[in-house]
Amino acid sequence: MARHLKTQGDQIAQGLTRRQLIELGACARCGECQVWCPVYAQDKRECTTARGKLSSLRRLVEESLPEDEKREFLEGLYECSACGQCHIVCPVRINTPELWEQARLSLAQAGIPQPESLLTQLSTIKEFNNSFGKPQKERGLWATMAWEAGLLKSPLPLWRDHPTSLIYFAGCAASFEQAMQSVAVQTARLLQEAGVKFSVLGEDEPCCVSKLRRMGDPDFPLEAKKRFSQFEEMGITTVVLSCAGCFKGFHSDYSKLWPEKTRVMHLTQFLDHLIQERRLRMEHEVPLTVTYHDPCHLGRHNHIYEEPRNILRAIPGLRLVEMPRHRAFSSCCGMGGGLKVANPGIQYRMGADRIRQAESTGAEAIVTPCQTCSLGLMHGVEAAGSDMKVYHLNEMIVRSVCPEVAHEEIINAFLKAAAR
Amino acid sequence: MIDIPVVNYPKPWLLFWVADMLAAVYFYSALYRKWRGWSRGIKRLPTERIPWGRVVNIWLSEILGQRQLWGLSSFRWVTHLFIFWGFVALSLLSLSSFILKRLGDFGMDSGLSQFFFQREGYLFIKLWGNGFGVLLLTGLVVVGVRRLFVRPPQQSSTQIDLILISFLFWLTLSGFILEGMRLSLIPHEIARYSFFGQLFMPGGIPSREGMPPLLTTWWVLHTFSGIALFVYLPHSKLMHSILAPLVIAMNAVEEHERKDLYWPDISKHRATRLPRD
Repeated sequence: MARHLKTQGDQIAQGLTRRQLIELGACARCGECQVWCPVYAQDKRECTTARGKLSSLRRLVEESLPEDEKREFLEGLYECSACGQCHIVCPVRINTPELWEQARLSLAQAGIPQPESLLTQLSTIKEFNNSFGKPQKERGLWATMAWEAGLLKSPLPLWRDHPTSLIYFAGCAASFEQAMQSVAVQTARLLQEAGVKFSVLGEDEPCCVSKLRRMGDPDFPLEAKKRFSQFEEMGITTVVLSCAGCFKGFHSDYSKLWPEKTRVMHLTQFLDHLIQERRLRMEHEVPLTVTYHDPCHLGRHNHIYEEPRNILRAIPGLRLVEMPRHRAFSSCCGMGGGLKVANPGIQYRMGADRIRQAESTGAEAIVTPCQTCSLGLMHGVEAAGSDMKVYHLNEMIVRSVCPEVAHEEIINAFLKAAAR
Repeated sequence: MIDIPVVNYPKPWLLFWVADMLAAVYFYSALYRKWRGWSRGIKRLPTERIPWGRVVNIWLSEILGQRQLWGLSSFRWVTHLFIFWGFVALSLLSLSSFILKRLGDFGMDSGLSQFFFQREGYLFIKLWGNGFGVLLLTGLVVVGVRRLFVRPPQQSSTQIDLILISFLFWLTLSGFILEGMRLSLIPHEIARYSFFGQLFMPGGIPSREGMPPLLTTWWVLHTFSGIALFVYLPHSKLMHSILAPLVIAMNAVEEHERKDLYWPDISKHRATRLPRD
């Protein structure tokens, strides 16, 4: 065995699972991954396809990959949103998103670090406990501001003052990104409308650190353990999340380390349940034709396809039309897997492609239940020069349940508060 | 009852056995080396109980029926199925014929080898061999034409693909040529069951007496090509025929039902276009 520790190929192989090493040789090179890959569609680089990466990674662990091809491989590995489309269409069913994440981790452990932009992002997350590099004490400001602006029915209880077994976990984007804070406010208001007893963590809410896993940071298991140990100590039994990325982190990544996991629900699952129980009443008409964008982390990765559609269908006056690519074949907006950090230009073009698909349906707006995808689609609108509206799913619900907390109202209220 | 005349010609069995043994040793040692490579990885046992029902179901539909390929392209599904089933069926035929003959040599086959090689069973073997041989040959021709002339954009034709296709094509074609030579030595009413092989019968030449040396030569070419494929297999694209079923079965343990993968018009929604789109 000692002989195996000598080479870089061995070190990389030791960071992959046995099944993943077998998968490297199981690729039939049919190229189906290529014709579906939203990254390849941008600039036709073989190194971005699953086939290209599998071949290079196999040769890397066999120590037969030439140096120039190694550079290409690393480019392809990090310019990938790990959206999982190649996994879906692969006739051999190679679990590619898991493989890319594990390969990034394994390479980092073997002394081949992530690109500089990713390293900066990773150190920001670890230093500030959020991906925006903002002070943690600002994390819960949205809740205070929303109450002061009259957007909530009652002040949001902080868990440390009023512990509850159910918490709403807003995530970094909805806590810090101005354009997305409405998602957190609307979620809290909808839960209040339905009479749900919940609390928020405020400045005690940590970053979910799922980006560490996406980008192959070796500290992920340790950081994740800190977080779920915290939840266990707090006696939290249900976590409701409005971010698809955080949901994947809690639901899929933590679960490998946390067998006794707390019940983790995405907001769409929770709201669908509340609507079916008639605790959330859709009273106002929303006369819009919309199309639905499946976030990769909810759809392909966690099979949540129907709940958000059930919600949209329950809204009076709203018409849902599907894009040609939906559910398991939904085109990625490019925001996931560190791609946006590694190559923002590709993300904008991928977002634009998705917007053009949405336009082809004749819909007036594209709706998604993920704040990160919302941002990615907004970039797409900009890149495509489109006038397509991008809405978070919450916006459609509040227009029907409590229109006074529509996105524009929240933005205006927050701007006024900031001016004061 | 029909009586099939035995076609006898000299075969260098000693050479065959030596080459076959060496090839087997090489093949298994190559697989062992691959296993050593894989065993460097992290051993991860399934966390959930293995759903054997799902594994069997996926094995039947995805490996034997290759349903996912059907969902993606009916044309490629038919072609791949021709090659897959043709190769599997001919390999089974060669292996079972070989075992039956050896058992027959030692009188341990309860008359089965006589039934299959000299009685009615012979016709079944001929129909089986010709039927699956034609499937394999057709699949290979279609694949070759697609790779060399149609050239769909996602196709990546490297040396390893072309060598394998040429190898399999040669192996199947040389088998039919050998069959044609053999058929020239038996009555037409029997030979006609080799409905494709009879197309390869040499027309009038050489004489009945001159045929055995030619048969021996061609047998050596065909058989040793098969042995060479055995040696080449661990380094070829054909490895996916061993590893892909393994991966499909392993991943099936963790996968949910994937019925949304089988859209009738799935190919219309690809990110890049094919020439026919």
